[in-house]
Amino acid sequence: MKFYVCIKQVPDVSAPLQIKDGQLIQDNDRMILNAYDASAVEEALVLTEKHGGEVEVVLIGPEKASETIRKALAMGAHRGTHILITEKQKIDSAVYARILASYFSDKEYDFIACGKQAQDTDSGLTGSMLAEHLKIPYVTNAVGLDYENHHLTVKRQGDIGQEMIELPAPGVVTCSNDMNEPRIPSLKGIMQSKRKEVNTLTPDELGMKMEDVEIKTRILGFEEKPGRKPGKKLEGDPDKIARKTAHLLDEEAGVL
Amino acid sequence: MSTLLTYISVNNGKIKRSSLEVLSRCTQEANKLGFKSAALIIDENATQYSSQLGSYGLTKVYTVEGPSFKNHLNTPVLKALSAVMNRVKPKVMAFASTEGSKDILGALAANQGIPALPDMSEFEVTDTGVKGKRPVMAAKIISNVEAEGDSVIISVRSGSYDLINLPSEPEVESVEVDVGEDETKSILKEIITASGDRVDLSEADVVVAAGRGVKDEEGQNLISELARLLNAGIGASRALTESGAYDPSLQIGQTGKVVSPQLYIAVGISGAIQHVAGITNSKVIVAINKDPDAPIFDIADYGIVGDLYKVLPPFIEELKKIKGE
Ligand SMILES: Cc1cc2nc3c(=O)[nH]c(=O)nc-3n(C[C@H](O)[C@H](O)[C@H](O)COP(=O)(O)OP(=O)(O)OC[C@H]3O[C@@H](n4cnc5c(N)ncnc54)[C@H](O)[C@@H]3O)c2cc1C
Repeated sequence: MKFYVCIKQVPDVSAPLQIKDGQLIQDNDRMILNAYDASAVEEALVLTEKHGGEVEVVLIGPEKASETIRKALAMGAHRGTHILITEKQKIDSAVYARILASYFSDKEYDFIACGKQAQDTDSGLTGSMLAEHLKIPYVTNAVGLDYENHHLTVKRQGDIGQEMIELPAPGVVTCSNDMNEPRIPSLKGIMQSKRKEVNTLTPDELGMKMEDVEIKTRILGFEEKPGRKPGKKLEGDPDKIARKTAHLLDEEAGVL
Repeated sequence: MSTLLTYISVNNGKIKRSSLEVLSRCTQEANKLGFKSAALIIDENATQYSSQLGSYGLTKVYTVEGPSFKNHLNTPVLKALSAVMNRVKPKVMAFASTEGSKDILGALAANQGIPALPDMSEFEVTDTGVKGKRPVMAAKIISNVEAEGDSVIISVRSGSYDLINLPSEPEVESVEVDVGEDETKSILKEIITASGDRVDLSEADVVVAAGRGVKDEEGQNLISELARLLNAGIGASRALTESGAYDPSLQIGQTGKVVSPQLYIAVGISGAIQHVAGITNSKVIVAINKDPDAPIFDIADYGIVGDLYKVLPPFIEELKKIKGE
């Protein structure tokens, strides 16, 4: 079984961040493998370990993002492809999906897995855009995967419950981090990753002229979120403060 | 005349309030700009819901119905959406942000070759497209965004807009969409729903959420009792959906659901940013936590510092008195 996993390097959202003149100032040292993609890598590894096959990761990003490919290789992915763009190229989900679609146009695979969203932008568009470009079926928000007779059984978290969906190959599945606990690379894994093959390409080599690509969504700037202020904090005898809060909710907040 | 078209989500035989919030906003924008506001229902029995859309200032309701739309599955829904969009050519195709709309937004944008702005907390229609705000970085900050195009797809977080009351008698137009069996390659085998009475979390007026501090059955019973008393939906942090104590569909936060109740009670939840990402639209937040430094207290309107096992029983008892139980 050939599994491709599309991965992205994202800033660690739990790191402190700053906004200056509408721009987001991020600590460039705290870039990580998107947590949802890590779950996708983990699941692809589990399935190929069980049923045989190979996992290849594909990343679009600047030079620095190659460390994230190494991370996935250290987890156990067999090879990687780095589609190189510059730090300055501000592309949106639609362009990511286009680049990926041109990459996959001449590839053979059973499944392509992606994270269900990126941890920084929470957009969640790329996976289903890619499937639409490739004209293959897809399932989003997978919380469980199983493989049998050339199809995946996907447990999808839907609005009113979990949907069990059969996805035939070739197909795209987007993964939730509720699916598994991604493995921490072992020392051996890290050593081996250094010898694994990473193929570097540019969008140009895939037939995409970045200068001509029309980007239809734009970020105009960032701003602080109108914050919530801490309110009343009650400490002391649990019985007293519990009863007091009940009355505050009734008489002061008026929410009962 | 241009149309702003809102997709009406139906779950468990009920129209989702969050889609009516989006519809209300679209009607306001349409009236401001001299456009039409219309709604689209795709469901097994779509027509049956159109009569519930009489107070949103609509000129038209489009319906697509048939057995293919009994349960959500992306291929039929996409086919129906594309058919209606090709016909109506809406300036804006708007959705409430739900697991159903998240499933198809990207594919629809790619299919129509138009831009999409997901999970907005505010939007306005402009001459060139749509602009607005979206929470990013686990909803820690706001990104001001813009999409350019004759037609733009958006989705909106629940609780972002109030409902309007603008009586109208929209014309109902049914659009035929045939979905052949062989067109749908992925097959829905089964839907697993958790047992017990369930209030739709994303719509609930009161939410009681349990975190790792709720460590046993005794704690869960206290949560259930509090939720029953307040007619609340029960939610949970990832710690407890992961451990299996609560159903995964009850997770609130970045991976889970965004809620927007009048009252949110966090019990034994530390307040990690990924959890807080789902609750800041709540009107009043109450936190019960034994650690006075827990980050949840930074955003709580009422913080009770104490052991939940000692706090909840008198809290419940006092609420019962207030409620006259
Ligand atoms: C990409 C990503 C997405 C995520 N998405 C989500 C999400 O959608 N939702 C979510 O919830 N999390 C999410 N998380 C996980 C999140 O980071 C936290 O790990 C999680 O929210 C912690 O849950 P908790 O607050 O219940 O547990 P903890 O952080 O362990 O907190 C337990 C709290 O209970 C208190 N406590 C313990 N005993 C008692 C007692 N007897 N009485 C009173 N208080 C007590 C403790 O003081 C502590 O503050 C995500 C993480 C990542 C990386």
